[in-house]
Amino acid sequence: MIIPSRDVREDLRRAVDVAIIGSGAGGGPLARELASAGHSVLVVEEGAHFTREDFNLKPAEAYMRMYRDAGQTVTMGLPFILLPLGKTVGGTTTVNSGTALRMFPPVLKKWRMTHGLDELTEEELNLIYGHLEEYLFVKRADPEVAGKVATTFLSGAEKLGLSCGWLPRNAKECEGFGSCVFGCPSGSKQSVDVTFIPDALSFGADVYTCCRAERIEVKGGRAVGISCQFLDEATGKPSGRRLEVEARAVVLAAGAICTPYLLLRQGLANSSGQVGKNLAIHPATQAVALFDEVLGPPRGIPQACYVDEFQGEGIMLEGGTVPPEIHALSLPFAGRRSAELMVKYPNMGMFGGMVSESASCGAVKDTGRRGYRPTIFYLLRGEDVAKAKAAVVLMAEIWFAAGAHRVFTTIAGHYELTGARDLRRLERSRVRVSDFYGMSAYHPLGTCRMGGDPQWSVVKHTCETWDVEGLYICDGSVLPSSPGVNPQLTIMAMAMRCAGFIDERLSAGKPGAGENAPRPEDVAGEPQGD
Amino acid sequence: MKGLTRQQWEELLTAFTGIPEGLPPPDAEEQVPFIEEYLRAGAPELPGAFHASYLLLNVLSLLMKGRPFSRLDPGHREDLLNRLLSSRNPLPRGVATILALPVLTSYYRRPEVASPLGFDSRALKEEAALRVVSRDRSLPPRDDPAEEAGG
Repeated sequence: MIIPSRDVREDLRRAVDVAIIGSGAGGGPLARELASAGHSVLVVEEGAHFTREDFNLKPAEAYMRMYRDAGQTVTMGLPFILLPLGKTVGGTTTVNSGTALRMFPPVLKKWRMTHGLDELTEEELNLIYGHLEEYLFVKRADPEVAGKVATTFLSGAEKLGLSCGWLPRNAKECEGFGSCVFGCPSGSKQSVDVTFIPDALSFGADVYTCCRAERIEVKGGRAVGISCQFLDEATGKPSGRRLEVEARAVVLAAGAICTPYLLLRQGLANSSGQVGKNLAIHPATQAVALFDEVLGPPRGIPQACYVDEFQGEGIMLEGGTVPPEIHALSLPFAGRRSAELMVKYPNMGMFGGMVSESASCGAVKDTGRRGYRPTIFYLLRGEDVAKAKAAVVLMAEIWFAAGAHRVFTTIAGHYELTGARDLRRLERSRVRVSDFYGMSAYHPLGTCRMGGDPQWSVVKHTCETWDVEGLYICDGSVLPSSPGVNPQLTIMAMAMRCAGFIDERLSAGKPGAGENAPRPEDVAGEPQGD
Repeated sequence: MKGLTRQQWEELLTAFTGIPEGLPPPDAEEQVPFIEEYLRAGAPELPGAFHASYLLLNVLSLLMKGRPFSRLDPGHREDLLNRLLSSRNPLPRGVATILALPVLTSYYRRPEVASPLGFDSRALKEEAALRVVSRDRSLPPRDDPAEEAGG
């Protein structure tokens, strides 16, 4: 069952087979797999639980309720990059665009060659991908409901002869309400909160919401439980109630920002010194186009199509229309200029381009910020600046080919392009890292990377940490680098794989079943409420 | 309306948003409480960053226009903000961006503003609520990949 913090009226103690921190793309599948295998599973989630009835297509409210720091998490460095992170049951899958792509095959070869991950084979991953795609109803976006912004952009890409198509999405019978990243109001998106978590609950798992894990308990070099604090749902501040969990295995699946932060705070599993380092993100920029005809955003599928002509060079274009209150922020103008453009919102289309293979690198650190907050450092390097600029140029070319008469970019000095001449000027110009206005990024990865060498990696190919027996990490942080595409399906695949290893160990009674860790029947405190 | 006076808020809202044709004007009474809630919901540094940005806006206004922001006429306020936003220097641009974020959000989220632009969240929500999407699929059986991987 799902137990919200408001229903907890006393300190609780639980004993289970597996304690999982986080209910997103890593924690959700693990909970489902291990619970279905007969293990007692407890999940703690820092965010609250929302259902489709709560998803009201109000972006600002969604940011405040379902995103970490109201969606205003920012990286420190040049440029400042907005890095929205989900904080709700289902994690970021509840508030993502639903793009469900398999990893770019050359990346796996790189992982095997440079990270010693020989055990990770394409055949095995493809097998898991296939099962996930079936379970999550993954299919290509339906052009009939994708919306005119997507079809117009795709027509431009086709005119230019670029490789493009409709994105595979984990959505069933989607009718294009244009609100994926604020929670799907129709229940179409098959995010973790409506798939793996309900299944896990049906197999007996418990999910505690507004419950923050603050410590992993280690005894004799082995993880034996977690220590958590319940939070007030309205304020996010500690409620004064605690949850102590004894477990035979602990899985840290809090995402690539919070997972290393928890380990760094505790000084755990970091003999390699790699915890928090190697942060990879997908820096993204956008181009907004103005047409004579009405395109009718944001109705449709916000991220329905792609252009992967330059995927091999680390540039991937994926669409993204947004409601007016977000759209207004993408136009770097004020006053009359902003007003004149915003009244033409129905005639505008937006598309996004991301640096899918980045040379830049960041780090997550514990700098003692107020509250429970890591600091994220990230510096966009020159070659990635060039890729981001190339993505903007490409998107503008496509928009013009589709019939746009003006294109608005987020590169200072080139905010408004009126045609080929402006485009050539942008192409020839030397764009600096500081020239990008309002850059955002998605998909943080790599901060507890997997590898074959304990000196250079944090976890083994099984997702178990090299340092602490029975402590597994299973989220985007273990991917050694970007998979070249949106990572949710790959994180889920890693979780499915990890569940197999944990199940094998627990079923074999290792480590020390019945020694330090009590069995589920030894539960000391019962959950309150329903 | 802590930090800024009502008049300062009104000047700021109008300078950023303008008055879009056919849409209602900015409304400090409605928007400011939202802005304050929005800032509180973010990182603890955000309210401070917003108010520091407003102070810096006045410093930049003095340097670039010879007067504090409040004493500029509306046209010059808009001109100043557009100059900051188009600067290649990330500091002045950042000042304008931090102020723009909650101000523009607070205006375009208003139903009476978003609806005429074609985004009627209430109607869409009602339509979405009528949809019934069944989920009758369990995870198909599979061979154990851990076994296949030899581990």
